[in-house]
Parts: sequence; structure tokens; C-alpha cells
Amino acid sequence: MAALTRQDLNFGQVAADILCEFLEVAIHLILYVREIYPSGIFQKRKKYNVPVQMSCHPELNQYIQDTLHCVKPLIEKNEAEKVVVVIMDKEHHPVERFVFEISQPPLLSISSETLLSHVEQLLRAMILKISVCDAVLDNNPSGCTFTVLVHTREAATRNMEKVQVIKDFPWIVADEQEVHMEEAKLIPLKTMTSDILKMQLYVEERTQKT
Amino acid sequence: MSRDGWRKKASEDDGWGGRGGYMAAKISKLEEQFQKDAPREKQKDGTSSCIFSGVAIYVNGYTDPSADELRRLMMLHGGQFHLYYTRSKTTHIIATNLPNSKIQELKGEKVVRPEWITDSIKAGCQLSYVQYQLYAKQKSLNFTSICARGKQDLSSTNDPFKPNPSHPQSDSIKNGSCSIIEEDAERPRVNGIHDGDDDDACALLPRGSQDTSLTNGYVHPVNGALKPQDSFAEHSPHVVDIGSHQSHLPQTESRDREEPSCSSAGSKSNFHQRSLISTASPAKQPGLHSMQKDLHPKPTSNPGTSAAPQKGNLHDQTRVRLNGSYHMTPNSSNLADSSHQPGRSGKGAEAGVISEFFSHSRLHHISTWRNEFSEYVNALQSRRRAAGGAVFSGKEKLKKLKANCSSGSLMAAPQVRQSCILHVDMDCFFVSVGIRHRPDLIGKPVAVTSNRGPGRVAQRPGSNPQLEFQYYQRKQKQYRKEVPSNGVDLDLAALSMAEIASCSYEARQAGVRNGMFFGRAKQLCPDLQSVPYDFQAYKEVALSMYETLASYTHNIEALSCDEALVDATNLLVELGVTPDDLARAIREDIKEKTGCSASVGMGSNILLARMATRKAKPNGQYFLRSEEVDDFIRDQPVSSLPGVGRSMSSKLTSLRVSTCGDLQQLSISRLQREFGPRTGQMLFRFCRGLYDRPVRSEKERKSVSAEMNYNIRFTQVEEAETFLTNLSMEVQKRLEGAGLRGRRITLKVMVRKPGAPVEPAKYGGHGICDNFARSVSLAQPTDSGQLIAAEAIKLFHAMKLDVKDMRGVGLQVQQLEGSHADPSGQGPSRGRSIKDLLLAKQPAHSPKKDPLAPQGWSSVIRTGVTPPSSPPSTSSDPMPGTSKGGLHHPHTLNHVRTCLNVSIEVPSPSQVDQSVLEALPVDIRKQVEQSWRHREEQPSTSSHLSTPPRTSSSPPPGPSLGTLVLQLPNQLGQPCTTGFILELPDFSQVDPDVFAALPRELQEELCSAYRNKGNTQAHVQAQSSAENVQCPSSSSTDVPETLSKFNPRPVPTLAGAYEFSDIRTLLREWVTTISEPMEEDILQVVKFCTELVEDKDLEKLYLVIKYMKRLMQQSSESVWSMAFDFILDNVQVVVQQTYGSTLKIT
Repeated sequence: MAALTRQDLNFGQVAADILCEFLEVAIHLILYVREIYPSGIFQKRKKYNVPVQMSCHPELNQYIQDTLHCVKPLIEKNEAEKVVVVIMDKEHHPVERFVFEISQPPLLSISSETLLSHVEQLLRAMILKISVCDAVLDNNPSGCTFTVLVHTREAATRNMEKVQVIKDFPWIVADEQEVHMEEAKLIPLKTMTSDILKMQLYVEERTQKT
Repeated sequence: MSRDGWRKKASEDDGWGGRGGYMAAKISKLEEQFQKDAPREKQKDGTSSCIFSGVAIYVNGYTDPSADELRRLMMLHGGQFHLYYTRSKTTHIIATNLPNSKIQELKGEKVVRPEWITDSIKAGCQLSYVQYQLYAKQKSLNFTSICARGKQDLSSTNDPFKPNPSHPQSDSIKNGSCSIIEEDAERPRVNGIHDGDDDDACALLPRGSQDTSLTNGYVHPVNGALKPQDSFAEHSPHVVDIGSHQSHLPQTESRDREEPSCSSAGSKSNFHQRSLISTASPAKQPGLHSMQKDLHPKPTSNPGTSAAPQKGNLHDQTRVRLNGSYHMTPNSSNLADSSHQPGRSGKGAEAGVISEFFSHSRLHHISTWRNEFSEYVNALQSRRRAAGGAVFSGKEKLKKLKANCSSGSLMAAPQVRQSCILHVDMDCFFVSVGIRHRPDLIGKPVAVTSNRGPGRVAQRPGSNPQLEFQYYQRKQKQYRKEVPSNGVDLDLAALSMAEIASCSYEARQAGVRNGMFFGRAKQLCPDLQSVPYDFQAYKEVALSMYETLASYTHNIEALSCDEALVDATNLLVELGVTPDDLARAIREDIKEKTGCSASVGMGSNILLARMATRKAKPNGQYFLRSEEVDDFIRDQPVSSLPGVGRSMSSKLTSLRVSTCGDLQQLSISRLQREFGPRTGQMLFRFCRGLYDRPVRSEKERKSVSAEMNYNIRFTQVEEAETFLTNLSMEVQKRLEGAGLRGRRITLKVMVRKPGAPVEPAKYGGHGICDNFARSVSLAQPTDSGQLIAAEAIKLFHAMKLDVKDMRGVGLQVQQLEGSHADPSGQGPSRGRSIKDLLLAKQPAHSPKKDPLAPQGWSSVIRTGVTPPSSPPSTSSDPMPGTSKGGLHHPHTLNHVRTCLNVSIEVPSPSQVDQSVLEALPVDIRKQVEQSWRHREEQPSTSSHLSTPPRTSSSPPPGPSLGTLVLQLPNQLGQPCTTGFILELPDFSQVDPDVFAALPRELQEELCSAYRNKGNTQAHVQAQSSAENVQCPSSSSTDVPETLSKFNPRPVPTLAGAYEFSDIRTLLREWVTTISEPMEEDILQVVKFCTELVEDKDLEKLYLVIKYMKRLMQQSSESVWSMAFDFILDNVQVVVQQTYGSTLKIT
């Protein structure tokens, strides 16, 4: 089979599709694993050939979907540097930050037929890491909330402010308070490098959670 | 668009502080300088006269000849030259044109065209100035027409910007009407910066060294008083007096920022911007529009009294600029130009600025003297080697003396062969040199400083010295309970901040210290005399000191311009004299030759010798006998140990350690816990007087850097980038000077600490800052300024700083290697074929015991086809010699790849479709063509490397061919044979014709490579190279642009290992087989970990760290856990810098 070249596919789009799909799964799973919401709202599903938990609360799902929908254009243009799921305590001080750091792989190509299964394999590994991350993290205090932050490269923010992908779902510049965490400890969870995507996931955890 | 950015607001306090103090001193000094220089000039020129006696000129604005030249002429012909206009003393004002306001102001003065001077000289007598008067009838002039024609883009609100389109010659009166007075661009030079006079210290000095800042003090605190905008404001007709200071602050509103004018308010740098741009602008005409001009279409509100000071101000502005960046040009700026390209250039935007700055920074000179003297000593030694022996006059003399003495007494010195180091240190060097010829000052408190005024200056707006002062106090308090309360008064702000470079012992008794601000010192010791710098004399004296020492022995290590170490062990044995005799002889010699006294400390090692010198001072000598060491050192304060600076001694104080004796009570493990493994061990040894460094006449440089933390005020990112580029060029220059290339680039930035005053107390200083540093490792060592700049800019962006808060920038290049061809084949050498290299390499890779042995790092791959523009590629990947039998460690020499690409990937001209070539971007096309040219020059190496295109559709072969793989088929017990293969396309894809066309040897190589490939395939992932982007087939437009900008970095490898399992094996062997890790190995691991962070592969880093932790902490040797701590500390620092948090290691 002739290798697909760049002309044949819009790389950014392919990568963004795959990544956003993954992020959706990952966010649900994080919310489940970190017990942000009662486990009752989660259902077991199968994704990447492993069991994952997905919320069935429509508003929450809508929020996550909308968020990712807005992130996608950024990822397509390689303007998103990090997507961060921040878990905050009652005072809205972050206690944990799940950071998906996205970068370009050394080589962008879709040349191998095994591409998708390979990527899937890597994503699966990441999902599995998330589902066991409670082993390396301290318990969160009760009453936590979460939010999703995007670290953009360069001036992408300005465009985000101008163009609302979804009406009435604007982005705002994150509070310093939400971004900054004192005495954070960094726990790398997983790094993946595939032909279309390079991503690493790490958790920053506040030393004193209570 | 409204341009009200031009309006300057009146500042109520311009901080000028009147002319009583600073200005008076300055003017008198300038006069003094002028007098001093005059005879010299006369001597040089030969033609001199007194035709201008009684004439004192003041040059206003651009003139032809320049002010500089006029100054010289006045020197030659008996006149006076005033840098500052004084109504009472200045007789003539020289100008070619003046703005209206000036003209009115100067009504009644003799304003004369420069031709008056030149013509007078020609005529041999002083001509009447009348016909040279600039404006016979000074009247108000009409600007309107010009304004209208002029800058449309300058809005109506700021009318009076006058372009001066005509030529200087033609622009006499008519033109004068519309032009400006005040360009004092030439002024700074006149000020004598060129001559290296003392007053305007260009202060760009290595941070941390005390005396660096010394010189700054002089000019800046004072002219700090006036910032350009202040004086603007003073003249400004549009006085808006709300929040006048606001405009100084970088935090002006963004709209204002976009306008050059206003940004100038924020910083001098923009001031540059204007003038610099003007140089670039084609409008060569020296029409002098500096902005100030424009701002005074009307007489100033305080005409009479302020006239002179204003001018002073303006000059000083220029001076200030000068201090930061030297090149000044007439402000013939076309405002339009500058307003169109705001921020294009900033401070330091002109290429020469930084190097000029450095070349004029005299303290910088002094700091380079050590290198000079080291070289001097080296030269002596090599000369001796060449001559097969040298005459040591001093030694001979001493020998004779000894002979005389011993004939009298039979007591010969004990012939114990014990090492003896002499530490020779001049006594308060700067002072004793300064008063060599001033016997009247001997015995008086004397300080060398640039300040000569009463030691007071006014406070500048925007600065908050109290706050800074409190900050530093607080900082000290962290460690010390008792605050040094030696008369801290809040008046401090008003004191001169010129620092004292050196002070005599008498002054020290009064409490004056080196590095103290002069104003403060003057309070402590009212009799304090100040002596100016005399750099020429310092050099002379230092040189003669070294000559004296060299007349005894060549075992000298230069420490600085005034201190040196001498290894006298052999000398003493040879002469049979005691160390005291030798020291006495040396001191007498030095005293005789230089007129300055030196102290000598002697001890069995460098540390003890240095400590003995403390005891010997002043003007004495002390021999620390080995049996006395213990008692002696016990009472020494810890701060006298080398490497114990203020912060460390504070920390020690908090541990209740003040003397070395106290320090001896602490265990090594405690010390290492407190200070880290290395420093802890160092302290442990030092406090026992142990130090084993030999006297080295030649020091290996660890890094080359250039730093500037003076007068850094950027307003735009572009300025910072330009500055970085220029700084990189300076680094390049230094690297070239040292013949080195570096592999690691560190960008250090000082950023104003949040909450710190925007303007520091010290004019142009950096104030209270946070320091940030980031580094990047390059694939190959470089000395190219452009490369360094590119990396530095990347680092800079990665730091995401607010440019306006930047206060200092430094670039450092580490991991140096010589850039010269190394005959051993280890260094880069041009023009070697891979085959040569192969042959040369073979012996280099014999099996080694230590898998990380340092010699393993040094394998070097060179291509013979490197285009001259790119730096030579070297790789130093270590070979894990102990790897298990069949296990190969393929080395992906990613960095070689980039170099090879040019030659390897480009097919021969005949294979390239011309249309494809034409479709390539110009620079790439050039590159391709260049590589063809190279190939023609070196057919043997390059043409056979061209591999067949991967796919027939794209004539230039696929980029993935570029990867070079160094393979090590490594049989146990046998010398390894190394082989290189290119990362090859599938064998099936190789065009048989092409293969057949290859030279025979290459065919064989390829065959064997294919055979080996099976082994390596698993490890070698198809990797494209940067050239991917250049491949025409991939340059289609639908690829987002960001993708093509992406530059893949090499995968980090540890000793060539890439996979985690290999790394683990390697680490295990390292830890289990070696009892004590070598420093190089540890550093290599640190480097690997750092690269992992940079490669964003935290997971692997985490695994590696955890694995090492397990291995090393289990190890019975405690050094291993220390090594781990060291590695972890370093990694945490990098992680902290990159992610703002540290790894959680459980």
C-alpha cells in the first residue's frame, strides 16, 4: 500500500480527532477515579478495548463535549500546548492537575498500516495509567470540583476570544489561582510517541491536600 | 490616530539636583581632562598654535567637522572646549542649525558655524566670527509648510516634527529654520569615552563581582537623575501634569506603547531606537532632528535659569545611551521611519553595540587581564621550552646573594623537599598604584572610585532606594539575627552610589570597605580622598609584577591582575634558601620595580598560602609551617575560605559556625547534607587546610559567556530578540577568541521581582531581581553566533517573560571543546572521509572496563562534506563496551544527520529535475547547489553517499535516508570493529543501477550494512530529519504552517542506549561493577535526564530516577547514594525550571 502523504490527509485534523476522543474518555475517567462525582453517575463502557467509566449526567457530558469541541481547533493548528484537568478544593485552590502535554512527534507521517492500532495501543496504556493513578496520588479532600484549562501557544488566545466555536461557551483567561499551585509535586504518568501524536501525561499534586 | 504619545509631561522633580554638586564636578573634570589631553594631541599632531586662546566653544548639535574633531582642533590651537554650555565661560556656540526655541534662547550669544574654526585654522589666525554667524537675524521661523509636507503620520497634536530633507551644506539658514538644535549625538565621544577616560564607566560587568559595578556609579546615579523624558518634559509645550511619572513606567497603556515616542518615555532604549533607526534610514542628511527639538517650538517656561542645566540634561541623556550602547549617530532621524517601525530596533539594536559596550567597559578589561597574564605565563613557558632553558634573572641574583651569605655562615637552609606555594598579592592594588606618584596621599585614607563630587545626588523619580535597601536588609536578616546597624540612615538615597573599587588600609580602619558606595564611605570617613581610576597604570604595574615573578620561575598561576600563585617547591630546593628569603627577595624586587608593596603568604598548598597572605597583609610576609597549620586554621573565620561567600557564611553562621575550628566539629555527612555532596566535602577538607589543587599555569575554561545587566530596558519583544542576537555575536567573538566551541547554551535572565520598584536606586541598574536560567544542549558544539542566537531566542520565548521587566541578560556556552583540528582524530577536523574515520576509529573502541568510561565519549564522526557555513559535526556518543554478547547498541547519531543531510540527501545534479529545483525556495536551492559544488570538490566522499531515491515520484530522495547509524558489532573479548551504515532504505527499493554505479568499496559497505540492518531494525525507527520540510513533495500548502516549523530533536540516549531496558542494564552494570562513580559519568547521567525533560519524556525520566534510586541507595558504598542525591538535585532543578514543580520521589 502506498504510503499516505501529507496531501492526502489533513494531519492536524486527524490528530485532533483522535486526541479529542481520547481526552473525552480520559476526563470522564479522571473524574471517576478521583471521585469528583459520586460513582453512581458513571457507567462502565468499553473503549480502546479496555473498560472505562463514563458519566451519564447529561449536563456534565455536555460540558465536557463543549469544552473539547472548542479545544479541537487549537489542536488542529498545533496551538494547544497543554490541556489540563484541574481538580480544586472547596476554596477553589487546585489540589491536582492532570496535565496532558501535547507536542509534535518527531515525524509526522501516516505511513504504516498499523498506525491506528498502534496509536490505540498507546492510548490504551494511558487510559490504564489513569485508572490506576489513585495508587500514586493522595486522596482528595471532599467537595472537589474540576475545570479544564488549555495552555495555548503564542497568540492563540486572542483568536479564541474572537471566535466562539460554540455560542455562549466562551473561554476566559484562567485565574492565576487556578493555574498556580504551591509546592506542587510532579508525578509523571505516561508518555507516548506515535507517528501522529506525542503526548505526555503527568499529575501535579499539592503537597498538603487538606 | 492621535499621537499624543509625543506629549511629555512635566516632571516636577527631574532629579537633577542643581548644578552645585555633580555637574560642577563633572565639568571641572572634563576641563581637567581636556587640559591633560591637549599636550598629547599637540604632540601627536605636530601643528599647533594659539590662535584660539581665550575662545571657549560649545558645540550644539550636528556639525561638520564633528564635535569630536572640533574638540581636537581646539586642543591643538589653544582653545577651550566645553561639553556643557555655560553662559559665563563659553564664548562661542558652534552649530549648523538650531531650532527656533534655541535661537530665541540664545539671543545675544555668538552662534557660529563650524567653518569659522576650520577657516581660522586655515588662515592661521582667528577670523572674525561675524560672517560665520549662523543666524544673522534671529527671528521666529515658520514651520508650517514643512510640517504639512512632513509627517502626515504625526498627527496634528504633535505638530513640530521637522524633517530636514536638505543636505548639511545647503541647509544653512533656510534650512535652519526648520531644524533642530539639540542633536548632541557626537557629544558622548567628546566626553572622552573613546579615550577611555574615567568618567563614564560602561558598566557591563560580570554579575557578582564586586568591583564590576564600581565604575558605574559615577555617571549613572547622577544622570540617572534625568531621564530623557524628563528633560523632554521640561521643554515640552504640551505639559500635561497628571501622573507624569506614569509615562516612565513600562506599564504605559498599550496604545502608547505602540508609539515610539512614548516608549521612549519608558526607556532610553527607545531613545536609541530612534537614533539607531535614523542611521539606517537613507536620509543621510545630518539634519538634526532629535525629538527634543520638536518639543520646543516655544521657549521653555523657565528660560534663563534652566538653559544650561537643560543642556546638561540633554547631554547626559546621550551619555546614558552611550553607556548602554555606544554608537551614536546624529539624530537625523526621520521620525516617519521610526514611527513606522517601532521597536524594530531597541537598545543594543545596532550590531556593534554590545561589542562596543564590552570593549569600552574597562572593568571588563581588568577581568580579562587574568587571562592575559595566564597567557603571558604560558608564552614564557613555551618560549623557555623552545629555547631549552631560560635565564631567571631574579633567581640568579638570589643565588648570588645566597652564595655570599652562606660563605659567611655555614648554616644552609634545610633541604627538605616539601611543597611550598607562594601567594603574592599586591596591597590594595588600585590605591597603591593610584598614589604611586602622589606621596602626599600616603598614609591618608584613600579610595579609588569614579566619584569626585561631594557624594550626594538627588533621587530619581520612579526609583525607591529605601525599598531596595530594606529588601537587601531583609535578605540579610534571613541568616543573621543582628542587623549591621552601622549608621543606616534613610538619607542613603541621596548619597552617591559610585562604588569604591579599593581603599587604603587607613580608610579601612575607618570602616570603609571595598564595594561600599562612595557617599556612604564619605560619611564614615570625612577625610576620605578619592583617586580616579588609572587603567593604564594598573596594567603597567601588573605586568611588571608578573615580570618580576617570572624572573624567578615560570611556575606561576595568574589569579588576577594583582595576585598570583607561585609554586616555589623546586626553586627552593634548587637555591637552598628558605621560603622567607625568597619571599623577601620577591617583595623587594616588586617594590623596587613597581613602587607598590606586595604581601606574600606561603604554605604547603594553595589554600594555606592564601590564608597566610591574609595574615601577612599589609606589606608583609608569612610562612605557614605545616606544624602550625592546625592551630592557625582553627582561628580563621570561615569566610576566609575560598568559595565561602556571603550567603554560605550566613548559612554557616546559622549553624553556629564562625571559625574553621567550629567547622571542623561538623561531620562530613552533616556538611554534605547541608551544602550538597561536593560543597560539603570541599568545606570538610578546607577547614582542615587540605587542598590538593596544584598550581596551574593554564586554566581550562569551563564556559564562555557574556552578560549584561546594566541598563536593560526593553519595551518590545523584538528588542529583546535583537539584543540576544547581538549578545550571541559577542559570545561568538569570545568563543572564537578562545578557539572553543560549546555544546550547551544557557540563557540567564534577571527579571524585576514583582513588587520591586520599576526604577532601581542605581541608575540603569537591575534592582531587585529574580534570576532565571534555562539551558539547551545542542546536537553539536558550535561557535556560531547565529546558532546561539536562534537557540537563545527559543529559550527566551520558552520563559514567557514580560520583556519590560527584564533587567539583565546573560548567555553562557558550556561544554566546550576546542575548535581546532585535533590531530588525534578526536576533535573535529575538516576534510576527512568517513572511511578515514573508520580506520581511525577502530583502535578507539577497544573494550573498556567502565561502560561509561570517559574515553568512550570521545568518538567523533566527521563528514568531509560539511558545508563551510555549518559547524563541524562531532558526536561523542559513548560505547557501552560491556554490553552482552549479541546485544548491539545502535547509535542514532541524530546530530550528525543534520550535517550529512546536505550532502547525503542531495542527488547528483543529473538526477534532479530542473523544474523541481526551481520550485524550491531560494535558500534551499542555494543549499542544494552548494552541496553540489562541494561534491565536486570532494567526489570521493560525497557522491557515493548519495543513495537512491526512495520513491520514484519524488526526485530528491526521502529525508529518512539521512540518518546515520553507528553500529558496534561487539564480540566479547575482541576488539570491536566499528561500522557505519546509513539508515538505509529497504533493500528492495534500492535501484540496482544506482547500486552498480557505486564504487566497489561502497557496495561492500552497503552490503554489510544491509546484513547488519536486521539487527538494528528494531531500534531504528524511521526518523525524518529537519530536511523533511525541504522536500518539495511535502511542501504542500495544506499542511499547517506550524508543522513545518517543527524541528525534531534527537532522542536522548544514555551511552547510546535508548530503550528503557537497555538503559536499565547499563545503569545496573555501572552501579554494581564500579565502587566509586566517576564525576563524568554522573554528569552524563544528569545530562541524559535533562534531555529527557527537554524531550518531554517524563515517564522515562521517572522510571530512570526510580531505578537509580533503588540501585544506588541499596549500594553499600555511601558515595553512590551521594551520587544519587546529586543527580536528583540536578534533575529536580531542571524539572522545576520546566514545569514549576518537582518530581515526587517516593
